[in-house]
Amino acid sequence: MSAVNIKNVSKAFNEGKANQVDALRDVSLDVKQGEFVSLIGPSGCGKSTLLRLIANLLEPTSGEVTVNGKTAVQARLDQDYGMAFQQAGLFDWRTVRKNIELPLELKGWEKADRRTRADEMLQLVQLPEFGDHYPWQLSGGMQQRIAIARALAAHPPLLLMDEPFGALDEMTREYMQGELLRICAATGTTVVFVTHSIPEAVYLSNRVVVMSPRPGRITKVVDVSLGGDRSEDTRNRTAFFEAITAVREGLRGMHAAHVGLGNDDR
Amino acid sequence: MTLIVRRAAYRTAMFALALGLVVVIWETYKAVGPTDGGKLLGVRILPRTSEYAMPHVWDMLSRFGRPEVRGSDRTVLASVLAGAWYSFRLSVAGFVLGGAIGVGLAVLMARFKLVQRGVLPYLVVSQTVPLIALAPLVVSWGGKLEVGPFVWPRWLSASILGAFLAFFPVAVGTLRGLAAAPAASVELMQSYAASWWKTLVKLKFPTAVPYMVPAFRLGASASVIGVVVAEISTGLKGGIGRLIIEYAREATGDPAKVYTAIFGAAALGLTMAGVVVAVDVFVMRNRPKESTT
Ligand SMILES: Nc1ncnc2c1ncn2[C@@H]1O[C@H](COP(=O)(O)OP(=O)(O)OP(=O)(O)O)[C@@H](O)[C@H]1O
Ligand SMILES: [Mg+2]
Repeated sequence: MSAVNIKNVSKAFNEGKANQVDALRDVSLDVKQGEFVSLIGPSGCGKSTLLRLIANLLEPTSGEVTVNGKTAVQARLDQDYGMAFQQAGLFDWRTVRKNIELPLELKGWEKADRRTRADEMLQLVQLPEFGDHYPWQLSGGMQQRIAIARALAAHPPLLLMDEPFGALDEMTREYMQGELLRICAATGTTVVFVTHSIPEAVYLSNRVVVMSPRPGRITKVVDVSLGGDRSEDTRNRTAFFEAITAVREGLRGMHAAHVGLGNDDR
Repeated sequence: MTLIVRRAAYRTAMFALALGLVVVIWETYKAVGPTDGGKLLGVRILPRTSEYAMPHVWDMLSRFGRPEVRGSDRTVLASVLAGAWYSFRLSVAGFVLGGAIGVGLAVLMARFKLVQRGVLPYLVVSQTVPLIALAPLVVSWGGKLEVGPFVWPRWLSASILGAFLAFFPVAVGTLRGLAAAPAASVELMQSYAASWWKTLVKLKFPTAVPYMVPAFRLGASASVIGVVVAEISTGLKGGIGRLIIEYAREATGDPAKVYTAIFGAAALGLTMAGVVVAVDVFVMRNRPKESTT
């Protein structure tokens, strides 16, 4: 059973109106259990839209999305995934710990269990002493780490992440990448990850999906053969650079095709 | 914490300064203004400054300490305080009732767009009904109401009128607040498959608080106005409104006396507002400080 199956999915916003936007057209993608898949592509190509379709926060215009063998609706109702958005989106009136506990509260966990898990999560994102702070007392990068802790808190089988490390400094970012890989390997979590960074996509992923803009389509899928246990050394390996080149060519090729199209129009 | 204390001290100082300024203006005008007022083409444009029209501030204050009626051992201060306390309790009852109705209506309107479209215009219209006309009506309806052992007390009519004025700002403010949750947060709750009710409790109400606080503040003073006006127009005994009419009748012989009752009404309004401000400071203590002003 695949973790995520997307079959011939198209999404148009404001359908039938003058301002219709074809965000995605005929996208098909299969993500296996435990796989780490990154989506990369120029701004506005529909990466966030695709992620929100998987999360069932949007309904596809046509096509079908299944998650863990269920419909996307059912998977959402069963809370089969955790999500980290582009913005941290923490609740101002809750302490950091209470923010992390939110999904657990909604699942009806006991107070003591919630607290234990929240403290584990704070350790994980290396902010153990900030549990009683309020989000607005934290820097943007720290807030983003709390949002990741919140997404991971319930140990969901599927993680949907939309540029979660975008606001972090390089050092924290690499640390968080390592931690994310470690957690996912330990728990067998499947991840669909949106990023703008080619090295990040390659370092983290089993597969990198390259998308083209308006209407968003999958133009290339790069298999990354770096093996299971990745460390800082991985970033120096030949296979790492080869994969980066392959993704870059995927993005560039599309860019060239785009320019060509533009010329034809004129 | 020190910031809150310093801000409170600053506000108190500004309030005292403004009050002092009013006293200075009052007394200055009384000293230099024409005793019989100024007339232009037969129309009086400057108020009279006679003892009868504008008593000295110290006369008003000292009136508090003297007996209410000659020979009585009850001072005006005692009467005014008792009246203000009575009206305060009616206002609190009106405020609580109006607040509950306002919040309830806002939740209904936020839940059902149809209710919002159907009800909101009537809420706006309801506030244009003159209170003076409404007060005797409510009293007479109340008088006819008798459910088993429950007999409508007269004071309840005054509280109802307070509630009638208080519910409106609360409903409108809360409705706006409930709509203020960012789309991303709503999506987050959706991603947790949170029910509408859970979303209301865990997200919508907390985001509404900064909108509800000023609405409650308006509602509190509106409730006081409703109660005092109802007391005046229905002649309800015991409250500050009744004292204002009674003392106004004696204005020819004892002009300072009516001002004591007016001070009492002002103190009543300030106390209500003060209570809400205290609650405001308490509930907002853990919010980002920039957005609270
Ligand atoms: N709610 C919406 N209504 C109308 N159009 C939308 C909506 N959401 C997204 N779009 C459009 O869909 C397209 C894809 O948007 P999306 O947010 O998925 O892009 P993205 O790939 O995530 O971009 P970025 O990398 O900048 O985050 C864009 O052209 C955007 O304008
Ligand atoms: Mg996006």
